[in-house]
Formats: sequence, C-alpha cells, structure tokens
Amino acid sequence: MREDAYAAALGGLSGATPLRLHNLLRSRSAREALRAIESASIGAEVAPPEALAEWQREISRLDLPSASARLDELGAHVSTLHEPIHPPQLTNDIDPAPLLFRRGRLPDPSLLHVAVVGTRRASAIGREVARELGFGLAQAGVVVVSGLALGIDGEAHRGALLAGAVPPLAVVGSGVDVVYPKRHSDLWEEVASAGALVSEAPLGARPEPWRFPARNRLIAAFSDLLVVVESRDYGGSLLTVEQALRRDIEVMAVPGSVRNKAASGTNQLLVDGCAPARDVTDVLVALGLSVIAVASRRNEPEVNAPESPLGTRASPAHRAAGIGDSAAVVGRTAVVLDAIDDGPTSVDEVVDRSGLDVIEVYGLVEELVALGLVVHDGSRVRRQH
Amino acid sequence: MLASVRSSTLDGIDGAVVDVEVHVTNGLPAFTIVGLPDASCREARDRVRAAIESSDLSWPMQRITVNLAPTCVRKVGAGLDVPIGLGILAASEQIPLESLADISAVGELGLDGSLRPVPGILPMVDVLETGRVIVAAADAGVAALGAGDRVRPVRRLRDIVDVVSDGLPWPHVEPPPYDDEIVDEPDLADVRGQASARWGLEIAAAGGHHLLLIGPPGGGKTMLARRLAGLLPDLSPEAARMVTRVHSAAAIRLPGSGLVRRPPFRAPHHSASMAALVGGGSGRVSPGEMSIATEGVLFLDELGEFAPSVLDGLRQPLEEGVVRVARSGAMREHPANVLLVAAMNPCPCGEGGSVSCRCGPSSRLRYSRRISGPVLDRLDVMVHVDRPSPTALLEREPGESSSVVAERVARVRELAASRGARTNAALNREQLEDAAPLDSEATDVLHQALVDGRLSARGAMRVRAVARTIRDLDDAGPTIRARDIYCAIGFRVRPPLGGCDA
Repeated sequence: MREDAYAAALGGLSGATPLRLHNLLRSRSAREALRAIESASIGAEVAPPEALAEWQREISRLDLPSASARLDELGAHVSTLHEPIHPPQLTNDIDPAPLLFRRGRLPDPSLLHVAVVGTRRASAIGREVARELGFGLAQAGVVVVSGLALGIDGEAHRGALLAGAVPPLAVVGSGVDVVYPKRHSDLWEEVASAGALVSEAPLGARPEPWRFPARNRLIAAFSDLLVVVESRDYGGSLLTVEQALRRDIEVMAVPGSVRNKAASGTNQLLVDGCAPARDVTDVLVALGLSVIAVASRRNEPEVNAPESPLGTRASPAHRAAGIGDSAAVVGRTAVVLDAIDDGPTSVDEVVDRSGLDVIEVYGLVEELVALGLVVHDGSRVRRQH
Repeated sequence: MLASVRSSTLDGIDGAVVDVEVHVTNGLPAFTIVGLPDASCREARDRVRAAIESSDLSWPMQRITVNLAPTCVRKVGAGLDVPIGLGILAASEQIPLESLADISAVGELGLDGSLRPVPGILPMVDVLETGRVIVAAADAGVAALGAGDRVRPVRRLRDIVDVVSDGLPWPHVEPPPYDDEIVDEPDLADVRGQASARWGLEIAAAGGHHLLLIGPPGGGKTMLARRLAGLLPDLSPEAARMVTRVHSAAAIRLPGSGLVRRPPFRAPHHSASMAALVGGGSGRVSPGEMSIATEGVLFLDELGEFAPSVLDGLRQPLEEGVVRVARSGAMREHPANVLLVAAMNPCPCGEGGSVSCRCGPSSRLRYSRRISGPVLDRLDVMVHVDRPSPTALLEREPGESSSVVAERVARVRELAASRGARTNAALNREQLEDAAPLDSEATDVLHQALVDGRLSARGAMRVRAVARTIRDLDDAGPTIRARDIYCAIGFRVRPPLGGCDA
C-alpha cells in the first residue's frame, strides 16, 4: 500500500481545514497525524473535542487499500508539509497549504511562475489575449499558472499547451478526480498529462463555491507575478489579486475597452496603479526577462512583433505566398480593411466608413476573411492579429 | 317521401361532394341524421327547424331521416344546413321535388331563415360541377371564382322557395364592395439605415432564399420581415387560385373580390403547435400556417423560442414545397411553397455580440443549440440587424421604396423562370451547373473555402445559388465571379449563432 494513502485519508477528514492540518502536520507525517488523532493525543488547539470525536469515528471506518488503489488509478499523488516533493512555495506561504493532491509532474520550483487569470464570461478578444499570453509565456520558459475555469483561465492553459515548451500548472477547486467545468474535460486531461494539476480538496470533492477563494490563494502562492486579463467589477479574479497583494506579488492588468463590462475590473486595477500588460513582452519585462525585446520594440515596432501562430485562419498555402499580410492588400480591399476596427464592428459601419456598396463590402470582407486578416462571426467583423 | 339535394363539404383544402337524402315518413315525430356528421353538422336540426318556421313554412311533425352520402367522408361545419332544409321542404311536399334536380346548395342557416357564409366555400363550390349553386350572398364573390355564373347568391331560405315553387326570378344580390385595391403592405421606404438588412431582404425576395435575421431586440427585425412580402411580385393566376382555396378552407378573411392576388404574409406566434404550423387537427385536416403562407412569406419571430420538434417538422415541407399530413383516416397534401424568414436574438439577453451582453457562455451556447443544424442549413442568407443609430433614425432620407426594389426582384424571378425553376433557390444541382458557371477565380475561391473548412459541400451549392441571385441583381451576367462567391459566403449563416465563441 502507498504511503500517501495516509495523507489522502487525512485530507479527506471532514472539517480538515488547512489551519488544522497545518497544526497536525507541523511536526508529524500524515501517518503519525492519523495515529495521534486515533489516540486523542492532540491538543484542543488543533481540533475541538467534537471535531476530534468525529475524526476518530471516520478513522475507524477508513478503507486505506481502496484509497491507495484510487490514487493509483488516477495517477495521483498526495504530499504533505516537510516532504521534499511538497512545493516549497506552499510550505513557505503565509497561509501554507499543508497537504496537496496532484496529478502530473510539478514544475521545477526554480522556474518563474506567472498566473494568468480572469473572468469566466470573457469577451472574444479577452480569450484571444489570454491564449496569446499563455503561449508567449510558456515559450519564454515561464510556468503558466491558472485555474482551468471557463473563459480566461482555460484559454491561458490552452495557449501554454500549444507552445509545447514549459507545461502549465493548474490549481483547481474540486478534487483532482472531479472534472469541473465538464466542458473542459479534454483540457483537464491534457494539463494533467503534460503539466500538473493540483488541488487542496480531497478526492471526490464537489466544486463547492467556498473552495474557490481558497484555490485562488494557492494560485497567488504559486506565482511570482499575476496577470489579470479580464475581470468584472466583482469576481474571483479580484480575490486572487487580493491574495497576490498580501504576498507582495506584482499584479498586472490587461487594459480593456471602456465599453467592455468584462474589463471593468481590470481597468479599475489599472486606475489603482497596477502595471498594464499589453502583451507578452510587457509581462516578460516585468519579470526582468526581456530587456532586449523592449529596446527593439521601441526602435523597430513592426519587425520584432512576434508572429502569432494562434487563431489565424489563413491557409498554409496563403501564408507561404505571403498573402496573409496586410501589406499585400491594395485598392478597395484596403479601404474596407481600414474601415474595420480591432474591436467588433458591424458590417453596416464598415459600409458607412468605406463609402462602398453593401454588396461590395460583403464580398471584400469575405475576401479578407479568406486571407485570415479579418474575423466575421456573422454579427460583427474585427481584425485578426 | 324521399328527396335528395346535392351539396359538398370540406376535406382538408379540397371539397367533397355530399348528397343530402331526406326521408319523411309517418310515425312519431323524430329527427335522425346519419352519415358521419360532426357536432356542428348534427346541430343542423335545431337551426333548420327554426329557419323553416321563421320562413312561414312548416316543420313536418313526422319521422325525418337525413342521410349524408357518401357515409365514408366526414361532414364538417354548418354548410349542409341549406340542403337539409331544402330536402325537408321537398320531402314534405312544400316545394316541388323535381325543382331540386339541377340545384346544389352550400350554406349555413340562421334561426331567422337567413343564409350565412361558410369557410372553405371555394373548394366546396369547385367540386359542384353542374347546375346552379346556391350560396349565401356574402359568399357570392368567392364562390363565383369556382362556379362562375352558375352561382345563385341568396339572402334568405324563403327566397329559394319563392323561386323553385312560384317561378319568381332569382333575386339580384349586390356584390360586396371591392376593397382589395387598398393593399396596406408596409413600405421599405420607412426603413432608415440598415444597409445590410435591406440587401438581405432583396436577395431573399429575388432568389427565394430563406432568410435569418439576427439582432438585439428593438433593432427592427420584425419591421423588416413585414416588408418582405411587399417585395414579391403579384401571384400568378394559378398561385392566386391555390392561395385563395387554402385561405378559404382555413376561414381566413378573403379580399372583397374573392381572389387573393398578393403573396400572403403569416407570422405565427412561437407558442404554435406542430398542427398549427404544418396542418392537422382532429377530424378534418385543416391547413397549417405553412400552407396558409404558401406562395408568400412565413415569418417565425423569436425562432429560438419555438419548440425544437415543431421547427424540425418544417424541414421536409421546406425541402419539397408540400406538407404531407397523415391521419389515421387519410393522408393530405397541402401546398407549402413559403419563403421562410426567421428572426432571433443572438442570445437570451439579446445583446450578444456586443460588450453589454449579460449572458454566460453556457446559456449562450444552450440558446444557439436550440435551433437544430438541419433547420439552420435551410436558411441561405443571414443578416445581423443592429439597432439603427439615432442619427440614422432622425436624419436619413427615406430609403428606396418597395416598388423600386420589387422591380429588380421581379426581373431576377423572371430569369429564374427562364432557367426552369420557380426561384434561384429552387435550382437543382444540374440546373445550377448550367445556370451558374464559375469563372476560374470563383472556382479557386470556392475551392479554398472548401479546403479551409469554411464551407460544406452542401453549403457550397447553396452559396452558388445565392451568388447567382447576387449576380442577377447586379448585372445579370452569365458567369459567377469571385466577388459574387465572396459576397454569398459573407451572407451565410455561421454557427454558433450570434457571435458567441464559447
């Protein structure tokens, strides 16, 4: 039987809060902690008598072999304080996580970790930015930390996986065996196999709302820097920001349109003095990784703009022929391209601005879509970067 | 004594001849009606009795048996009142038996002896092929479309008795006022701005392509859809007759002249049931909204709120132009050549695609999934309808009027007819190959769209048909150019709807 089945059992006790577990595990291994509970040789400051009695009842019913088998089946591991595998970021944190479930391999703690978080209800542009940040950071050798939620979190993970460089780290609120959100089950498995997926919650724990603020604290604890891509006025991302500030971790925010409600929280962060993160370079500079990029960006803005391999719909043949380049667009097509914003624009607006026929504009817009320069979702068009 | 009067009843949108046989004999006074009558038909006894007595005639206090032949056809409605009344009068020797030989009658009787109009008079009169046809005065116009000068419009039961027993001339009945010249179809000139939507309407009207309008509430989707019927040409004589028959059978008010000349516009509410939309009902199969809107526009507002099963029921009729409704007794085919216009919000809150959308990704996804792929597949043209800007509302000149657009539409429809199809949308694969040859650049564009996965094979055919319409509207050149293809792709429906990228 595996040794960490004891830790899994300890983490599964009801009311095993991080504080209580920390007191239990400060000077004991998980196995010793369970024995101490069984023999009631722990102080009342660790657990009040009624909790202790409940724990003893639960321990008397423990089925360690099946817990061990479950860990094997999931390929999961459990680590506690003082074990060498336990992430030092969590051991030394101001709210230490004494016990951690994980799937996959934890990234080298000496690598820089950057959390990319944001709202679940993100705009299309927000998602794109999150994916690009994830991609760029991973490529630059940074561990992307996020929460695997819908919207920004998931996109950041996707981007990082696409880079195929440093695999991402996901901190989730439910048990590592409870996929949430369901729609991310593929992404969940990909992160768990390529990178690491960790949780404080015991196996089988449902994604109850109260688990997420605690999860956000772990995201902050793991990170050297926090980037918020899009956040509403209130939301989990702002709790993560609070946790980052408690730990003196730098927070950056991606500026959004003043009309974009999904960006009102991030814009407020900028007003409050966070540094703006316009792209990966801004983040890398803040990490002290990319001074050269800054210098070259100021001098030659076009040349050094990293070519985004993401999201562009131009076919390989087009790209090889250099057609997917806005410089190659001339004449009326260029007029239409000029009339299209980076943000969503209605076709009627493009008609107004370009002064061309509706029918002609529809044709030219579609031509630009085929070239991969413009996205048309049926409602709006916008430039593709 | 036995008397027999010819009449007819309504079966779906068709008439069926019914012979009303009345037998009056001695015995205890009684009234029996046999031969598959429905409830309103069974109630004829009370109406006929009162009508006869109010007309200074007498109700025979004898045993009366009414048989409606053939017994296999279900008789519906009160249209058999008049023949039953005449049969009783003849069988009780109050009018001469032989006078009924070349007379048929369709009409409901009032308690005061007056004749009232009945729904479906046109198909019912259609099957009465010989002799004079007695109808209520209010039905005269429509009935004349079927039986011409054989129609004898009558106001009261007494008038018929005067003619057949006293030899008086048939009464002269003033035709109802001719009021259908005042067509109150809304005009496209009232639409301010909305450049894309105007084109969407024009393409839909010209090519017969089903149209999807997507946009936030208050953008004017409904207003635009209502203007579509006004862009279509007048109905051809055959189409007009078919539409009139259906409308008559569905008891829809017909224009004063009787004939429906303009394409109908129907906008069923989204709570409509399958039977209401495709036709059906218990007893007789009545035409549904799809048939009532035949040769015209069927507008489904709030497409996302229709029951998915009901929408899926539209697929086969949209494909074939006919509705087949099977009931235990019979199968009926009703026409359903509609131009479908659907409108929906991009998401539950209606703001999807703009930054003020309040819907979560999952609710947006659920909303867009309400419409099944096969239904979306049948909508060839999609336009996003935004709320017009305040300046557009206040300042713009009136747009092009419906009559100007209708001329272009009529021209394109004639071109389609010359290619052997009702509309460009109805061109089949072989016809498209002939009618919409692609130039080499257009072939490349279509090929690339297929390779990139932006189009399916079926989608490419639809794009080609829409491109044909776009070219026809432009300069009617023979070949399809790359820009026509690009433009047709630009108007395509793109799932997921409403700009959600979740």
